[in-house]
Amino acid sequence: MRAIVIDDSRAIRLILRRIVGQAGFEVLEAGDGKQAMEVLAGLDGAPELALIDWNMPNMNGLEFVAAARGDQRLRDMTLVMVTTESEQSQVARALAAGAHEYVIKPFTSDALMEKLALLGLVPSGAQA
Amino acid sequence: MSIEMAPTVKDLLFIMEQVWLSYMDPEGIDPLIPIDDEPVASEIHAWVAITGPWEGNVLVTCSRAQARNVAAAFLAMEVEEVPDEDVADVVGEMANIVGGNVKSMLPPGCALSTPYFVGEGEGPFRSPDAVCVAELVGRWRNELLSIAMWQGRNERVEVAA
Repeated sequence: MRAIVIDDSRAIRLILRRIVGQAGFEVLEAGDGKQAMEVLAGLDGAPELALIDWNMPNMNGLEFVAAARGDQRLRDMTLVMVTTESEQSQVARALAAGAHEYVIKPFTSDALMEKLALLGLVPSGAQA
Repeated sequence: MSIEMAPTVKDLLFIMEQVWLSYMDPEGIDPLIPIDDEPVASEIHAWVAITGPWEGNVLVTCSRAQARNVAAAFLAMEVEEVPDEDVADVVGEMANIVGGNVKSMLPPGCALSTPYFVGEGEGPFRSPDAVCVAELVGRWRNELLSIAMWQGRNERVEVAA
């Protein structure tokens, strides 16, 4: 299983890489949505999971979700927003655009793993 | 929006407690301790701007040593191993997390910038009449850290859609 972590903060990418890496994912990284699309274009098949920040330069997370949903090659990739945008209206916007789940920063590894378990990407009760 | 409707020190403390438990201190044995009336070394500043119906910024201020302590804990590294760019990144991300969470307490329609980071002698590009509406000062590992909300016009900021 592969995951791509898309966040302009290297620190958050490192934390997410650790968590999903320990859950068995091979982890790719991108600093914004545009870079993520470039990384994904070079892959043979889409990763199973994308963890996506909202506020990023060049292409933000919401724009990335819309682009990924419109790309036939990426249609099976599970999209999880991981962001500080915590208003219900923003959660609704992301889900309407095609995100499957929403995690608000700050997050614990247990909280993220619970979301991934709900999505069937890790066994229930798995810990990072 | 009036100053009275802005998030409070209690709100800032709650958010910082979540940051500590999530990234810095998962066991809850080394928390940020709120303190009163102690000046914080103004060496490192990171902030995010909020624009829209409520305008201002969320500013993190601390010493260089504290910024390095925070970055090391955040990244689970030794202090001496943390690259300078990661110190900026972590303190900026802290401002970003606090900013995103306080934005949900503000009127709908506010937008958040990506984080800004500067060293000594610089600061947020805010108007001279900006007002500090809440400030949390905490002690952690024998150094101080301030998280403050300033209300007032931002200058020279780019805000995400």
